[in-house]
Amino acid sequence: MWARRGGRAPIICRPKRHFVINDVRWCALALLLVLGLSSGAFLLPQTWLHYLALINLLLLVQGRYLGGRLKGLLVIFTSQLAITSLLYLLLHGVERLPEGITAVCRILMAMIPGWWLSIACSPQRIGEVLSHCLPHKWTFVLAACFGILPYLGQETREIYQMQVMRGANIRLKSLWRPRHWHELIYCVLYPLLIQLLKLSKQMATAARLRQFGRHPKPTHWPF
Amino acid sequence: MNNKGFNLHDALFIGFCATLLVALKGMLRLKLGLSGHSMFLMSFFYLICYGAVGKNGAISLCGLLAGMMAMTLGIGKGGPLLLLKFGLPAIAMDICLLLLPSLLALKWRCIILALVATIAWASKGLIEGLLVGLSAQVVALQFAKSLLFGSLFALLAAMLVPPVLERLRSHDLIDREEI
Repeated sequence: MWARRGGRAPIICRPKRHFVINDVRWCALALLLVLGLSSGAFLLPQTWLHYLALINLLLLVQGRYLGGRLKGLLVIFTSQLAITSLLYLLLHGVERLPEGITAVCRILMAMIPGWWLSIACSPQRIGEVLSHCLPHKWTFVLAACFGILPYLGQETREIYQMQVMRGANIRLKSLWRPRHWHELIYCVLYPLLIQLLKLSKQMATAARLRQFGRHPKPTHWPF
Repeated sequence: MNNKGFNLHDALFIGFCATLLVALKGMLRLKLGLSGHSMFLMSFFYLICYGAVGKNGAISLCGLLAGMMAMTLGIGKGGPLLLLKFGLPAIAMDICLLLLPSLLALKWRCIILALVATIAWASKGLIEGLLVGLSAQVVALQFAKSLLFGSLFALLAAMLVPPVLERLRSHDLIDREEI
């Protein structure tokens, strides 16, 4: 039930991938590690930063080996660096520039573990770890959400295509003008929301008819 | 987690709103160079959740679910910090809702909630900036910038919500008499 990835998945599936975490316990550990590293980037004193940078470098290398793309991280890092250095130059002059650069590096180090997690851990396993922390109703909801992702993408695309064929000005070319934006919301988002409300009603009825929620402990939960 | 008041229909709708939010965020990737565009999607879906479900805690649940989904799918910067990014504005909205008089017109309620969410979102950046050791002036400037852009986008979303809810009710998809 923890469905396949919907939409464009950031992972490039390679035939042979070592060191991919595919066990619940390891995944829970990885989550904790990522949490620790990310908060460490904010909280650790300056002297410890080298060790953290080293660990992050290892994560980067492993993520790259597993087929992660560095472009997104690079774009965020360079844009942050440019903005922050500009502000520092304007407000404090050159002598305090290293301080700003260290801060941006800290922000980057807070992001790298999350990036690594999304590459090294399969989404099914993360979902499974999360489901252990949630009551079973919300686990069902989370599972349904993952299941619905591909359907949602398809539905959105269909509605969009249909409205374009009807003559709505929602092609990319027209969307450059902000006055067409409200058309996008009326033509695509409305029907989508209506569809979702209907679907949630139907799913709730279907689950109730299958005795969902009668037993305090569901016995077979397909993972 | 308080799930006493939510029936399965509400819970599923909250979940689907969170899914749509995450999916659209992943699909659009509005890299316009403007900070605050994520506030548009966030406040829109949180307010829809509030209007359609109308129970305390619905917005926080939507936010936390969206955070979990984004974390699982690796959308955005990834990692457990996403839970904070999506959850913080939602929780701020819910807390504000407790204080807000329900007699206020829906439009104004939406606007106030969107602004509160923006403040929560921008203060997350403020705290992060102070923690990583940026100087106070730089942090203040960035805070002001994200507050300005974020509130612009959030206001835009808040203005859209009442007509959407009205139309959903006219399709007989919202059971409640009053929003």
